[in-house]
Amino acid sequence: MATGRSVLLGSIRGQWRQVAVAAVLFTGYQVGETLVPLVIGAVIDRGVATGDSRAIAGWLGVLLAVFVMLSYSYLYGARACRRSLVNAEHDLRMQLTRRVLDHQGGAETGRLPGSLTSIATSDAERISYVNGSVAHGISAVIGLLVAAVALLRISLPLGLLVLLGTPLLLLLIHKLGHPLQQRADAEQERAAHASGIAADLISGLRVLIGIGAQPAAVDRYRATSQESLQARLRATRANAWYDGSILIVNGIFLAVVALIGGRLAATGSISIGELIAAVGLAQFLVDPLHLLGVVNAEFAQGRASAGRVASVLAAAPAVGSGNAVLPTPLRGSLRIRGLTHDTLDGFDLDVEAGEILGVVASDPADSIALLRCLAREVEPGAGWVSLDGVKLTDLRPADVRAAILVANHGAALFEGTVRDNVTAAGSLDLERVLRSSSADEVADGLHAGLDTPITERGQTLSGGQRQRIALARAFAADRQILVLHEPTTAVDTVTEARIAAGIRSLRAGMTTVVVTTSPALLAAADRVAVVEAGAVAASGTHAELIRDHEAYRATVLA
Amino acid sequence: MTVTDHLEAPSRDILPVASARRTWAALGRLVRPHRALAFGALVLLIAATAVGLLVSPLLGHMVDLVVDGRGAGSMTLPAISLAVVAVGVGVLNALGTSTGSRLGEVLLSRLREAFVERAVELPLGQLERAGSGDLSSRITNDVNKIGEALRYAVPEFTRSSLMIALTLVGLGVLDWRFMLAAAVAVPLQVWTARWYVRRSMPLYAKHRTIIGDQQHQLLNTIGGAATVRALRITDDHERQVERRSRANAELGITEILLQTRFFNRLNLAEVISLTSVLLTGFWLVRVDAVSVGAATAAALYFHALLGPITSVLFLFDEVQMATVSLARLVGVVELDTSAPRPVAKAAGTPAAVTVKAVTHSYEPGHLVLRDVDLELAAGSRTALVGASGAGKTTLAKLVAGVHEPTEGSISITGADEALRQVVLITQEVHVFAGPLSDDLRLARPGASDEELVAALTKVGAVDWALALPDGLSTNVGEDGLQLTAAQAQQVALARLILIDPPVAILDEATAEAGSAGARILEQAAGAALEGRTALVVAHRLTQAATADQIVVLDHGCVVESGTHDALVSAGGRYSELWSAWSGTRT
Repeated sequence: MATGRSVLLGSIRGQWRQVAVAAVLFTGYQVGETLVPLVIGAVIDRGVATGDSRAIAGWLGVLLAVFVMLSYSYLYGARACRRSLVNAEHDLRMQLTRRVLDHQGGAETGRLPGSLTSIATSDAERISYVNGSVAHGISAVIGLLVAAVALLRISLPLGLLVLLGTPLLLLLIHKLGHPLQQRADAEQERAAHASGIAADLISGLRVLIGIGAQPAAVDRYRATSQESLQARLRATRANAWYDGSILIVNGIFLAVVALIGGRLAATGSISIGELIAAVGLAQFLVDPLHLLGVVNAEFAQGRASAGRVASVLAAAPAVGSGNAVLPTPLRGSLRIRGLTHDTLDGFDLDVEAGEILGVVASDPADSIALLRCLAREVEPGAGWVSLDGVKLTDLRPADVRAAILVANHGAALFEGTVRDNVTAAGSLDLERVLRSSSADEVADGLHAGLDTPITERGQTLSGGQRQRIALARAFAADRQILVLHEPTTAVDTVTEARIAAGIRSLRAGMTTVVVTTSPALLAAADRVAVVEAGAVAASGTHAELIRDHEAYRATVLA
Repeated sequence: MTVTDHLEAPSRDILPVASARRTWAALGRLVRPHRALAFGALVLLIAATAVGLLVSPLLGHMVDLVVDGRGAGSMTLPAISLAVVAVGVGVLNALGTSTGSRLGEVLLSRLREAFVERAVELPLGQLERAGSGDLSSRITNDVNKIGEALRYAVPEFTRSSLMIALTLVGLGVLDWRFMLAAAVAVPLQVWTARWYVRRSMPLYAKHRTIIGDQQHQLLNTIGGAATVRALRITDDHERQVERRSRANAELGITEILLQTRFFNRLNLAEVISLTSVLLTGFWLVRVDAVSVGAATAAALYFHALLGPITSVLFLFDEVQMATVSLARLVGVVELDTSAPRPVAKAAGTPAAVTVKAVTHSYEPGHLVLRDVDLELAAGSRTALVGASGAGKTTLAKLVAGVHEPTEGSISITGADEALRQVVLITQEVHVFAGPLSDDLRLARPGASDEELVAALTKVGAVDWALALPDGLSTNVGEDGLQLTAAQAQQVALARLILIDPPVAILDEATAEAGSAGARILEQAAGAALEGRTALVVAHRLTQAATADQIVVLDHGCVVESGTHDALVSAGGRYSELWSAWSGTRT
């Protein structure tokens, strides 16, 4: 079972070699940065002040060596660090994708696609940062130790002053900054709102134009934008004063170090070079300590993200799985007994192999409950569905889907061409499929026919175009049992009549269930079952039911 | 054709991007009213940097005092001065940064408002060709990109640049030869920066595409997970995600290879110039041109400059990226749009519509409508029936005034010319993010709560609307409560009632809800159309059956028109459809 902790540790463990290399090399870089002011101090002390050319040449050589070390340590360290980051992020993203796509489902329950996507991108990225934080954290601690040793060797009192003073300084900065930072974050969030509002207006632009509400929309946006501006200005002002106060506190600390160091140098306790080195180190120490603060914050963020990732990975499956095998050859008969789920209450129905069965429910909730059970998206509360005598719950969900395709009303189209979409799950005689679903007309109307790309998940197509492409895809999948849910609601009446004929000719010999209230489709069915109050209330042909069944007439023709 | 090929299809970028010259000119116009603010920010930041530069000479002075053998007491004054300098630097920086940010944020808000003002005036044709994706990416991604640059890169870039400039002056004051020594690596630095920007800019652009592709793919796969499972194409989708995610990871590696090479070269430049400053100090002290303190100050000056130099060179590309985004915003802001359509509030007396000999084509030679004559009597309801591509939507758009007909005329009589007369509602539903009441008030700004409730009642939506967690103040749409397709369409019909136009057109406005929802919507539509002249593109024949007039379109021509009963008994196209629909034919 995945927990936040295990996700976080797994991300580090999976990349530990790269993380270790990065930690060692970042340490080399930190030490190098610490040494630079020390060596500058030595150059001035031993070379510039004495005028000794051999000494200055020697110390400049040392400076060069330090630069080479720090530069290459950083070069290879940063590369190892980045590798550990991107690999960990990629692994997490793939784990999440596999979990979401798992045939037992359940990962999407209660989560919007947008937030799952953001878990697979932002959260995965934030967790991977922890790898970098580990490497940076180790190097910062070692850098601090080296600086501490150097300072203490120069002078015990000065060293203690800097070593004890710096953490106190950071604490003070943190205390100063905390309320400011908090306020800034809150304001920032409010400010981000404006961009969301603008994007929303733009995506509803055609609606705005249709009702002529552009001026009202612009007025509203201007008000939001100005509000956001005020929030942003408060945030930037708070940030500016926070940064300013850090400068002040740091500067005063430096003045104290210089005062004490200067007095020690004036009394001859330390040399000029040591004074310069101490001042340099005092300025430098802030960096690794600050880094530790950042590492701490990144860890906290990483933990929160890991919790979100773990909750997806550990989500309970929506349906169970069995070990039975699909009967071969598949005949395609369905038997439903006592099915109880949501509004369905003891639902019984037989679907003969090879028939076209219309199902009409006056309450759409009944249709949806039935479809979800057939699609194995939910575990029914009671009762069962069997396929050629084998209960669906005894089969693996993936095997059920090899035999039964439930083509939902809201089925998604994917990026790719129209052809890619139609042939995604199978490529039964394409021309017949397109003709039967009237998707040939859709392709004819598009600029590049079947090769027209579908973008924005089909949102650039009309509802009727989307429905026909989805229908063609369901036909092309060529499953023994096809369950269609309201396949023609956005299709005009003429085309709908063509599609009804198409279903009959294309699906001849195979089982087709059409859940709909469309008379044109129901008229094409061999038999129609009428669902009322969660159970089948009547069955017969469309014409019979129209003639004899008052409620049916009301549902279908109203 | 691979999937990535068409993602980069040029059709995505139909909206213009401003040239560099126009962008700078537009920026200049934006800054002009805020000159004082810009000047103030600059002066404050220069002052902050200049005061900060006193630190190194003060430290150098302390070294000189030690060398001269002045006692420990002599340290007090320079130390106090250091503290005073620290306070000055902090205060001046805070003032300068907040003034500069204020300028930046004010300009950005002006720019984004101008953008939205212009975007809503775009001709519909242009909008449909470009898709809303480009516009919406500009108002979100590009505005964010500029905002981020404004908040992080630009202040840092400005401070670092000032720091470098003033430090060079400071070095010159110590001794002009220090300045020369510090600048010895400038050619290497300039060359490195140019080398870097040439490679990083395309890399950033590529990164943006790759992130976008990955985002698209994940939304696609995750949003359609139920469909992916149902179709048993999970392996396909896993492979696609894998490919996009791998590409993203590999680009991350490519970027760090470039960045580390860049820093490596800058390190070389640093060690060269630092050595040269130290050697210069050595020589100048030897020839007694400067004191050891001055040499110390020069070295410390220069050491403090290493950070800012790296910042300037490293941030250069981010600043440049922001100008690219700026050009994309200015490109839309500077568009010439036609005069805004009249959109005054309507008055609800029904008007008659006469369509006379209308022929229309979007592309020359490709007729969508041919010689259409149509009379919509005031207060009557007309249903348009026909196959896809028969021209129903085009006719609806022409009557709505979205397009001008190529030939023929459409006239509306009986209503005040100055008022908005026609409202078009399509199957494209959009619930605007925010409180439901705000959404409705887009249709009638200033409407009272009672008016909103009355409109909702009329379309049968008042029960669920008032049952929302916060009633009409409930946040709906993106980020808020998701309304069902039928509810969203009821909201659209409520907006129609609030606008109260004499003529209303519904283009399959009840199609998306599914059959069961469609019935509720048809009742709602009936109520919303009451007392108006209505043109309804019908997809359910029951909608047509109750209309005063049915018009059957085929291949752009009117083939039949009349009442339901007349057309059924005439035995033509309509009666054929009706018998298939009503089950009287098997």
